[in-house]
Amino acid sequence: MSDAERPEDGDALPDETFEDEPRYCGYTEYRSGGGHPDLPRTGEGASGIEARVWDALYEVEDPEMPVSVVDLGLIYDVYVDRTSGEARVDMTLTYTGCPARDYLLSSVERAVENVDGVEDVLVNLLWSPEWSVEMVTEDGREALREFGVAI
Amino acid sequence: MATDETLPWDREYALGGPDELSEREQAAVEACLRALADDEFVLAERYTEWQVRGPTLESDLAVANIAQDELGHARLWYDLLEDFGYTESELIWERPLGDFRHATLVERPFERGDWADAIVRGFLYDEFEHLRLDALTETEYPRIADRVGKVQGEEHYHREHARNWLERLATGAVDGDPANGHRRVQEALDRLFPHALTLFAPTVYEPDIVELGVRPTPLSELREAWLDAVVPELEALGFTVPVAPDAHPEAVDTLLPAERGRDGSHTDAWPDLYDELTFTYRQLDRREAPRLMADPDDADGDGGAPR
Repeated sequence: MSDAERPEDGDALPDETFEDEPRYCGYTEYRSGGGHPDLPRTGEGASGIEARVWDALYEVEDPEMPVSVVDLGLIYDVYVDRTSGEARVDMTLTYTGCPARDYLLSSVERAVENVDGVEDVLVNLLWSPEWSVEMVTEDGREALREFGVAI
Repeated sequence: MATDETLPWDREYALGGPDELSEREQAAVEACLRALADDEFVLAERYTEWQVRGPTLESDLAVANIAQDELGHARLWYDLLEDFGYTESELIWERPLGDFRHATLVERPFERGDWADAIVRGFLYDEFEHLRLDALTETEYPRIADRVGKVQGEEHYHREHARNWLERLATGAVDGDPANGHRRVQEALDRLFPHALTLFAPTVYEPDIVELGVRPTPLSELREAWLDAVVPELEALGFTVPVAPDAHPEAVDTLLPAERGRDGSHTDAWPDLYDELTFTYRQLDRREAPRLMADPDDADGDGGAPR
């Protein structure tokens, strides 16, 4: 599995990932480490299979810190086709040189595979918008502070 | 550049996804990616030689960290070649050495473990990398656009590191004999400058790369911008550079070494480095394996199968 696998119609491409989302003219100010107005995603408001996928993602922890990939702000979106059971997780990593990349991506894949109603999983690795600490959720910040990381 | 106003996820692209490219488009994208990926990969391999040999513990850490960044970036660009069906083995471990497309600058061995050599090389490369990435923010290929910003964000520190050390060496701040650091930088510069010019050596795909917008700025323009940046900076530190910043392109070309890297011709240092970096792969007879390390989950799941 790798981010080389993409849906046939190319809907994983970054310019379409945030399709149907509110548009802002002032993107520039978010450019360097300023986060992104649509992120982090937390699964709030999700229902049915998608809610269960989010629950499963909350169980996947970063290998170095006791914080879930969702609270770390790595998950950019979750889509599930309710008819076919195909799930797609858009996610990023904090750092391109992350030595746990394969480990993390396969952990996410397995967690989502085990969700009731999911037949197939695509983990789509995105690099923009660039992850920054602003994308860590409040719960994530608290967990990191408890762990001893100043944030 | 244009992307100050338009960010990667909010613009339209002339080129489609990897499955939608024409043969000509794919060839241009591949050529651009091979130069990017191979430069970063081979440079990282060279940097790792310094991990335990820097002049201070902090510089050991810095160079290890920079090498890790460059490996991360190499992986990002190799990923995009994997989009076209290549495997990591094909792209690195089993690729014939004459198929690598990195510039000769990154393959040259360090002169007598000379720290000034590592710093000059970093300085020349990172200024180039900065300009190349800046040009790629305008790419018409969405898969590259998605990654450029992330890589740029991790490159600032490399330039600062090289500049900082270059100044310290130039002013003799790190040596009992102030002339010593200066002399070693000058010698490294004399050795490496012609090889740095191969960073801008065009391939046969260059016209397509520019015309199709894979990288809309031609290498010739990048070279002018690079000379404009590095020559005055080096001269201000008291170094002699073999060309003036506004030298005629043909005059600059005469400095190029016989091997250009980008066309698959490499210096005598490359076969040795290639042997070294593919040694473990060959020793482990990993020809069938997609990667060197076992997936930790697989190892556990098999009831502790030996790694």
